[in-house]
Amino acid sequence: MSELKFVGKSFKRKDGPDKVTGRALYSEDVKLPGILIGRVLRSPHPHARIVSIDTSRAKALPGVKAVITVEDTKGIKHGFVETPRYPADQEVLARGKVVHVGEELAAVAAVDSFTAQQALELINVEYEILPGVFDPEKAMDPEAPKIHPSHPKIADKEPFSNIGGKTECGWGDVEKGFAESDYVREDRYESQLRTHGYLEPHVTLAHWESDKLNIWTSSMGTFVKRAKLAKTLDLPYSSVRIHKTYVGGTFGGKIDLYSHEYCAARLSILTGRPVRIVASREEIFSAYRHSQPLIVEVKTGVKNDGTIVAQQLRVINNAGAYRGSGVVVVFLAWGFTMAPYRCPNLKYEGYSVYTNYTVRAPQRGHGCPKVRFAIESQLDMIAEALGIDPITIRLRNARQPSEDLPNGDNVHNGNLPECIRVAAEKSDLLKKYGEARKSPQTGHIRRGIGIGVSAYFGGSLIYPNSSGVMVKMNDDGSAIVLTGAIDVGQGAETVICQIVAEELAIGMEDVKIISSDTDTTPQDIGAWVSGMTYITGNAARQAAGNARAKLIQVASEQMNAPVEDLWVEDKAVFNRQNPQQRMTYDQVFAASVATHRGDTIIGEGFWRTMRDVPTHPSLATTKGRWTENYAFSAQVAEVEVDIETGEAKLVKALTVHDCGFPVNPALVKGQVDGQVSMAMGHAFMEEVITRNGYTLNPNWLDYRMPTIHNMAASEDADVITEEYRVGEPYRTKEVGEGLVSGILAAMANAVYDATGVRLYTTPFSPERILSGLKKLEPSKTTGVRDQQSPEVL
Amino acid sequence: MILYDFDYERPNTLQEATALLRQTEGKARLLAGGTDLLPNMRVQVLKPTMLISLGAITPRPPQAELDGSIRIDALTRLADLENSEFVRREIPMLAESAHVVGGNQIRQVATLGGNLCQETRCLYLNQEHDYQFTAPCYKRNGDCCYPFPGNKPGTCWSVYMSDTAPALIALSANVDIIGEAGVRTVPAETLFTGNSLEPLWLARTEIISSVVVPPIPTGFGWGYHKSTIRGGLEFAMANIAVALWLENDRKTCAGARIVVGAVSEGPLRALATEKSLVGQVLNADLLWKAADDASNEINPLPHHGFTRNYLNENIRVYLRRTLITAFERAYGMDA
Repeated sequence: MSELKFVGKSFKRKDGPDKVTGRALYSEDVKLPGILIGRVLRSPHPHARIVSIDTSRAKALPGVKAVITVEDTKGIKHGFVETPRYPADQEVLARGKVVHVGEELAAVAAVDSFTAQQALELINVEYEILPGVFDPEKAMDPEAPKIHPSHPKIADKEPFSNIGGKTECGWGDVEKGFAESDYVREDRYESQLRTHGYLEPHVTLAHWESDKLNIWTSSMGTFVKRAKLAKTLDLPYSSVRIHKTYVGGTFGGKIDLYSHEYCAARLSILTGRPVRIVASREEIFSAYRHSQPLIVEVKTGVKNDGTIVAQQLRVINNAGAYRGSGVVVVFLAWGFTMAPYRCPNLKYEGYSVYTNYTVRAPQRGHGCPKVRFAIESQLDMIAEALGIDPITIRLRNARQPSEDLPNGDNVHNGNLPECIRVAAEKSDLLKKYGEARKSPQTGHIRRGIGIGVSAYFGGSLIYPNSSGVMVKMNDDGSAIVLTGAIDVGQGAETVICQIVAEELAIGMEDVKIISSDTDTTPQDIGAWVSGMTYITGNAARQAAGNARAKLIQVASEQMNAPVEDLWVEDKAVFNRQNPQQRMTYDQVFAASVATHRGDTIIGEGFWRTMRDVPTHPSLATTKGRWTENYAFSAQVAEVEVDIETGEAKLVKALTVHDCGFPVNPALVKGQVDGQVSMAMGHAFMEEVITRNGYTLNPNWLDYRMPTIHNMAASEDADVITEEYRVGEPYRTKEVGEGLVSGILAAMANAVYDATGVRLYTTPFSPERILSGLKKLEPSKTTGVRDQQSPEVL
Repeated sequence: MILYDFDYERPNTLQEATALLRQTEGKARLLAGGTDLLPNMRVQVLKPTMLISLGAITPRPPQAELDGSIRIDALTRLADLENSEFVRREIPMLAESAHVVGGNQIRQVATLGGNLCQETRCLYLNQEHDYQFTAPCYKRNGDCCYPFPGNKPGTCWSVYMSDTAPALIALSANVDIIGEAGVRTVPAETLFTGNSLEPLWLARTEIISSVVVPPIPTGFGWGYHKSTIRGGLEFAMANIAVALWLENDRKTCAGARIVVGAVSEGPLRALATEKSLVGQVLNADLLWKAADDASNEINPLPHHGFTRNYLNENIRVYLRRTLITAFERAYGMDA
């Protein structure tokens, strides 16, 4: 086995030159003749019955080519989840009533933006206002306004209103566990509404031509888009083609079907002309999907040495006005609870509650940061109460390599204890921890350190479940890779190229990728279940290996040497027994065509996670396998807090992660830094401010994402637990979204370490920190002279 | 996208611009950097029938007058102000206040005059009203107030957020205004009406042509701070400009100006506190007390998600720090 030349190396991104020179084509850059501008009419009310919609004046306006309402659709529903328990629940345009501000009621296609805007203003909608409900716990009240009926399976047993779904599971006996515990505590944590912050807005161009619907849309998975568009339009999949475009960021917010995508398609079918709809940033903030604010109530019982005996969680998700991914988050919150630490007795229940907010989407981490913020904060509080340090209590409970999980999964080589040990050592946490809270301190800045731990899944069984890849050899020995994988900025194309280059022993420049086009590339899972490097990557490895085997077979016949003696290097097959004997790929290709009845050497590969598991786990009970790839991480944050103003910032982050094997270390590092930055926004800055379902800060100015100047020093270290061997399946793990979690918890714990203020709600705003400080020591923030005053004073 | 039609003119002189303003009966707006005007047109807070671009007029560079005052053309880009060695040396507080505006791209086009003439801001106001907040508020000539529903009719509590205005007031600057009757000169602080519906005492046919900063007194020190969440690309939570000048003993306060912006309809001065400092031998306790007194004098409007309570605290702490910095500079510790 030769040394690795491509995999494990920090190759430059394949898409880099296109993007930095402005050549990359995004959906809005695609120009077609005769294009019409589409616009969507949105609800001005959070909850109202639609008495009537009159589009006649809009239709009569010169320049307007089509106007649609729900009456112009087939009435086929769609949903983020479509299972027997949770069937599709959302129409593409509102029917009968609107349930959130900004809900789509109608769409127009016109010759220009000006006319489209006028057309929207000419649509007359009569509403009967209904009472709205925005707080999930209030929405659960039996007397609350009913947005939708509670799920029938829950309504039978529980009196709550507006329950979209529930996950309930556990093991052992928590009551017994709490009784046997030496120390039990119960806390409640809450999180704010955050958005994804992708720079490219939602953009869709649809063109119906010759009985074929061509779509260019900013997405995270073209095959999911095809499935949902074809379904709602009642077209065969073969009539819908989603083209590849570059994507300007998604972070979870561009999966599932969006109403504007359907509207662009339907308007194009009706007019026979291309129709483009671009969402404004304000629409994205006030009408599109955000992350899901969770209330997490945790009760934990431990032995005196910190060993967790029992844990009980009640999670309530403010899930917005349709089911969205709300029921998935309350399932995942269970997984993110149980994965890092052993817990012999667990009781978990998670409610997904309808409120009159916009529908929710996954966001990088999909519930994990909120769950880890809760559990890791509480674990530090427990450790302090028991007189144990934050490292010891985590090592005491961390799952060991090869451990079986209660759901039937196995940790395999995952090594959380090693992540924790390395993090403790590299950050010198135990030496620094508690320093700021020792008196006396001078000045108004306090520095604190904290740790958080997390685990994330890498790939699960969600449609379309598997990835296929084809590798076509060219007659000059280079290769074309056909993959459905979509590069949303994470570097999928670069990673796949590295794998194919490695397996075929050709250069990176010899590999050309054709990707994410539903008509020309094989089906792919898409960039949304944290499994692309593992699943699509293994399919690419297999496809390239398959082509290599064909090359070797032909060469073996030509060279009259046994296949076992032949191997590949530098675009050639050679005889290991006699390295002088070799055939270049172009020679082999020619020989294959000549002697194998024209075989042009095409390799095929396919991969699926948990290959022998029939389907995904139950969202309601968690029964079934979840994943075969657990990525673990321990992250340390150092923060500075101004104790007079409550202003806090992250100054240093350390991420120690077990990503299995880094195929491209620079891309891994990019993911780490991006997640630290995103978690910093979660911790200190970002919040979609709402009032009664209306959004108050629908712009980049008033929704404050961190800038490059806010970014803290971010270091990382891999705990390598896997190997890559050419020709063999490999196991890489998730590294693209789980790392927003431990660091968030670490920041909460570091703020506590700096100030003694324990925060239960994100973001850790200056006001929250200052109010916590005032409760601790009312004199400290108002009466003490700054010790750094000049001598002259 | 600005979805309505308007006219556009590009005069060569301010006189021509004022003539155009008169012709359009005040329904036109001046376009300098456009960083405040154009977003306001997009969300239709402003709907001028004509834009009068001042792009053809080249600003004169900042220059010292015979009496030692410094004249700055209102069309001076904020970037030119913050990067001017002359301004940084002579009136560093103004350079600093220009430096903290927006981000570099904004400052490359935004002008000092435009920064002074910016519209007041409110979360409800500064967004499109296609389906959110469709009923116009007082500021949009309607009859409601979203953030303060109990407000008396016609009372708007949007806040004036210029970062340079508090610095100019602390510097006792004057502004020259060109109008029909010629040029009038007024102190910068008298520009503000205290009414967010029409925040400036400036007729629609008038143009601020320049800002004049009077000679800096001896023994002068300044402090400036802009409170934000992320330190850039952001309007202020509050901004604070403090000027102190000392007698020849370098201890006794000869004069003080304490200005807090971004928390009200216009910049606020802590006049009583300023007065109480004059004639006092300054020390830390006194400045500490002055900060408390000044923050009690300032009554901030809750805005952009910040509570009155927290704004009070933030202002109090940064008044302390800016007053101490100003005193250090006046004393000469900050060479």
